[in-house]
Amino acid sequence: MVEILEESTGKDGRRVLKVAKENLVQLMKELKSHGFVHLSLITGIDRKDRLEVVYHLQNLEKNEYIAVKTETLDERVPSVTSVFTSANWDEREQYDLMGIVFEGHPNLKRLFLPESWVGHPLRKNYDISKVQYINMDENGEDYATFDPGDGW
Amino acid sequence: MMGPRISNPDENGWVELNMGPQHPSTHGVLRLKVKLDGEIVREVEPVIGYLHRNAEKICELDYYCDSMIYFDRMDYVGAMNMEVGYLEAAEKLLGIPPPERVQWIRVVMAELSRVASHLVWAGAFGLDLGMLTPFFYCFVEREKILRIFVEACGSRQETNYMSIGGVYQDFNDKLIHDILEFTEQFPKKLEDIFNAYVKNDIFISRTKGIGILEPEVALDYGVTGPMLRASGVDYDVRKAEPYLVYDKINFDIPVSHKKDNLARFLVRFEEMRQSIKIINQAVKKIPDGPYFNPKAKKSLMIRLRGEGEVYARTESSKGEFGVYLVGDGGVKPYRVRVRSPSLKNLSVLPYLAKDQMIADMVAISGTTDLVFGEVDR
Amino acid sequence: MNVLTRLADFFAAFGHYPAYILAYLFETLFMIVFVMVSLVAMIYIFRKYMARLQLRVGPNRVGKFGTLQLIADSLKLAGKESILPSGRDDLPFRIAPIIVFLGLITGFALLPYGQFYFIGSLTVTHSDVSLLLLFAALAIMPIGEILAGISSRNKYAVVGALRGVAKDVSFEIPMMISVLALVMMASAKTANPLNLSNLVEVQFIPYGIPQIIGLGVFFIAMVARASFSPFDMSESDSELVSGHSTEYTGMRFGMFYMGLFGSIFLSSLVVSLLYLGGYNGPYSGYAGFVFLLIKGLILVLISFTIWLSVPRIRIDKFVNMGWKYLLPASIINLIIAGVLTLGLGI
Repeated sequence: MVEILEESTGKDGRRVLKVAKENLVQLMKELKSHGFVHLSLITGIDRKDRLEVVYHLQNLEKNEYIAVKTETLDERVPSVTSVFTSANWDEREQYDLMGIVFEGHPNLKRLFLPESWVGHPLRKNYDISKVQYINMDENGEDYATFDPGDGW
Repeated sequence: MMGPRISNPDENGWVELNMGPQHPSTHGVLRLKVKLDGEIVREVEPVIGYLHRNAEKICELDYYCDSMIYFDRMDYVGAMNMEVGYLEAAEKLLGIPPPERVQWIRVVMAELSRVASHLVWAGAFGLDLGMLTPFFYCFVEREKILRIFVEACGSRQETNYMSIGGVYQDFNDKLIHDILEFTEQFPKKLEDIFNAYVKNDIFISRTKGIGILEPEVALDYGVTGPMLRASGVDYDVRKAEPYLVYDKINFDIPVSHKKDNLARFLVRFEEMRQSIKIINQAVKKIPDGPYFNPKAKKSLMIRLRGEGEVYARTESSKGEFGVYLVGDGGVKPYRVRVRSPSLKNLSVLPYLAKDQMIADMVAISGTTDLVFGEVDR
Repeated sequence: MNVLTRLADFFAAFGHYPAYILAYLFETLFMIVFVMVSLVAMIYIFRKYMARLQLRVGPNRVGKFGTLQLIADSLKLAGKESILPSGRDDLPFRIAPIIVFLGLITGFALLPYGQFYFIGSLTVTHSDVSLLLLFAALAIMPIGEILAGISSRNKYAVVGALRGVAKDVSFEIPMMISVLALVMMASAKTANPLNLSNLVEVQFIPYGIPQIIGLGVFFIAMVARASFSPFDMSESDSELVSGHSTEYTGMRFGMFYMGLFGSIFLSSLVVSLLYLGGYNGPYSGYAGFVFLLIKGLILVLISFTIWLSVPRIRIDKFVNMGWKYLLPASIINLIIAGVLTLGLGI
């Protein structure tokens, strides 16, 4: 068993395990072999000084629930796509909106926003008052611009 | 003189076809990049985000009570389920449990909404297969449900009926009478619609044995809801982790082990029958009492403060709908995260549609029951 | 006394040949007007019928009971800009809808229509091989559709055209074999069974009764020929947008639309002529045309009902059906026809 930094119970009565990000994939593998086959959700939380990633897992047979938390200071977290295929789109979404780089992800592209979008909207320091426009240049490549008249 | 070549086949001789985001069969704004080998689909890559509004960010900028309307606009065909999902999380976080009467009312409304959502799906699935008429039968029945919603809250689709600690308006006798009248005549109409589909040989030949989703794969991809239950996994949040008063109601979870399109169709229809059963029980059991938690007076609602982290899951008409709320003690949520079942169900489409014909790919994407307000959020 | 000779008499002052040329010209014009009017009526009936089946009201705004809706629609289509895609193959793209429409008109021009009260016989073409001509004319329309699909340089259109080819190949042979059985039976009664009028007139009992299998095969083939659901894979709107006519707009699209409904009407008339006794019936010397129309309309309504109530069949399953079921069935039908004609002398 990998080292658990902290074990607590959340407000909704779920067990929360806190783990260092180096041990994340190993822990996920162990949990999956213990029957936690359903990865419900991957959430990235911007804590201003650090980024937190929460994984919600469910054991369908025993009907147990568990949340795994990890933290990162440099926006990088190992990808769990190799353990759960369903993490693929979740991690892409978190990369898109939160800017967390999942190392080892097979296809880490933006999921919702255009590829050339500047910034990650769910970050607390993202300036929503700046309106972005996505245009296409002569070669068919997208680029982001802040000038509403550009290209039209 | 010949014009330019219409297609540039790649080294395998496959041709890339772009379906959507404006296409008759894509249920909104789904775009599929398809690699075709003649009629056979070799690769599918869904491209989404055309309806993206970043509801999660908007919710962060609003008070707890104001976020409701963005949830209505996620799964807009089954909006009551979304409201239930959000309130499950918000009420736990804010510590305002709804009174007993409200819980029963919410069950009734959520199940009505589930029936409406499945009816839309059934009609649209017929259209995907080229079957025009049952669509209208489904929508006539759905219209009756929407009339009940209008009676309850004045709105048809994006109802915004529930709010933190209660519901917007109490049930009255007329509403209960309307609901009972609906549930009385509906099963017969449902059987008519059901027979219009399953007694049709061509329908059976288009659905049986097509789009087989093995349970292991389904779990691996995070597929939930009727799609997962059609693959033989007996998993429904209403039973696994009962919310509201689902543990006091007698109903079954339909499960099929056939894993194909037809199984998904049958599971959804059986779910509608079970929903009617739930509504019939719940309407009669609604106890007397307040329809609003006095702790959450409307005028003071924006002052509600929440702290901590809550992850609440509910069973929407598409699958497991989860809301993860993080509060920092302020009047606005610190982080809102939504698990949308349609998104996960869509992510399995490339696996299911591989090496199928174009017509089957359309049918399979029909059975995943996509609603783009929810996929793109 | 038929319409043609009446017209020729009317133009007799111009001389023999010019009179007949004018007579043919005018009769063809009559026929085109007839086709147009019947198409408009049929689409109106279809829309009302479809609305009734689907718990709707249908067109009811333009004119009394919405009767002028179709005219409004066609005016709207005619007034629309016809957008030409830039990558098109120009000539085939422009002539494809015309080919479809001409094939339709030619098909109607070859049918025998029977007597219509004092006006006389409405038949345009009096040929001894009109059966062969009819099937030649029926083969024109798919060419237009294939041309449209390939020349618009759209992937949906190409896939639609290819599906159309696969579909045509798989039902043409059973269709022709079942027609062969008809000719076999008719040849015992008439010296010239390839003449459609003769083929109709020898049906004292409609051929659909001894050749019930042939009727089934031929009807399926004819519905498939008209691209009607469940055989509308070549323009399946939920998969291929609208198949070969994806890139067409305005009046060019209107021609395809008319081709769709015209060909189901034409197919129904052909089926009723070949298998249901055509214009035969009581007092057919006066009202044969009416009988033909009634039989055709009933078949059209049957096709409409099938359209509205079944999903689309998959193209590979249809090709399978064509080769594995329709072809053997039509050969069995041919054997039955042979036994009936040679063995029993019916």
